[in-house]
Amino acid sequence: MSVLALAVALLFAALAAIVAHRRATRRALRLQDEALARLAQTHAEEKARCDASVAAHEARASGASAEIQRLADALASESENLAQANAALGETRARQDDLLAHAKRIEGESARLKAFSATFERWHEQMISLMAQNHDMHRKNQELARIVNHVLMVSLNASIEAARAGAAGRGFSIVAGEVRSLATRSQELSKSYRDSLDRNDLVTTATFQDIQAGGKMITAALASVEALARQFQSKLERKPT
Amino acid sequence: MISQAAKDSFERIFFQAARTRLTTDPAHACEFVPAVSPGPAQPGVSDEVLVLTIASIHFRIVLSLQFGDDEATRDYYASQGADRTLREAAMEIGNLCCGAINQQLVEHFPDLGMSTPYALSSDCLGYLDELKPEYIAAYDVTLEYAARLRATLCVCASAPLDFTAQVADVHESAGELELF
Repeated sequence: MSVLALAVALLFAALAAIVAHRRATRRALRLQDEALARLAQTHAEEKARCDASVAAHEARASGASAEIQRLADALASESENLAQANAALGETRARQDDLLAHAKRIEGESARLKAFSATFERWHEQMISLMAQNHDMHRKNQELARIVNHVLMVSLNASIEAARAGAAGRGFSIVAGEVRSLATRSQELSKSYRDSLDRNDLVTTATFQDIQAGGKMITAALASVEALARQFQSKLERKPT
Repeated sequence: MISQAAKDSFERIFFQAARTRLTTDPAHACEFVPAVSPGPAQPGVSDEVLVLTIASIHFRIVLSLQFGDDEATRDYYASQGADRTLREAAMEIGNLCCGAINQQLVEHFPDLGMSTPYALSSDCLGYLDELKPEYIAAYDVTLEYAARLRATLCVCASAPLDFTAQVADVHESAGELELF
């Protein structure tokens, strides 16, 4: 009896143990399922996040690629502009060099033409020489006028002496009268000659003074051109800052 | 060919140049009496005339100055240097006067040049018409009520000449410091 009871007890105990084991197993399975479900959910969430991240990254990569393309295009365009600007700069520099050469030539020509002053000086010296000649002619004419006056006086005295001599001096009187007439004409001629010399003096002086003053005017104008050419050259040579 | 405005301008410019340069002191009195030229000079005026020329592209001015050959004129200019003759003083003063005219004109005509002075017989002035002038003006000038000279301005132009020069009145500003 007792053995049976023990056996029954053991059986119950075994059954209880089995039941307990089954319960534990079911519980473990349930917990495992729950854990798996949670893991699956987390995995799904993580996967969704990763997919979103990948999509965003792909979108950014696509944008960056477009930007790179745009920048590459812009670079090509700028390179082309730069090449054109370089060509224009080259042309400008060539033109500037040409202008500089011209400015130097103008300055050189102006400096060379200033030597005209030597020509003006020569004209002025010729005027002085001409005026000296005129002055000499004035002096000679004055001497001639004095001689003519003297001849007039002598002819007058001769006429008086001829008149005193009466009939004997008649022939001499005619000669004296002729001499007086010639002296009077010489006097008139001398006065006319003096007037001509005065006129000549004024016209010669005014003309040569005009040449002299005109020479200074031209020299000043050339100096002004030379200064302008130098300023222009200096501006062309100045390095851009 | 020379407008009235240009003639008036030449006169104003000459008057100012005379007041500042023909006098030994700009504060001195300087009187102008229009004279007929070519005509008889004042009695006692030198038989020598000083001639200067200002040349421009289209005109030239021949300025002639006949200084008085008397004690009053000699004394007036002797104050600037007793060892100088009147002729030497006249050369320098004439040059300064012509230079002052040139300086005023250059504001209106950038291309101008001036000659050196030259002395001629005063009889030469009777032939100014030979230069075919467009305008002649002569003045008997009295300086400080004593010194005298005859100035003749002869302008020959090859093109119409018209300009208006305004010159400061030297008597109003001479020796005065004006503050504004």
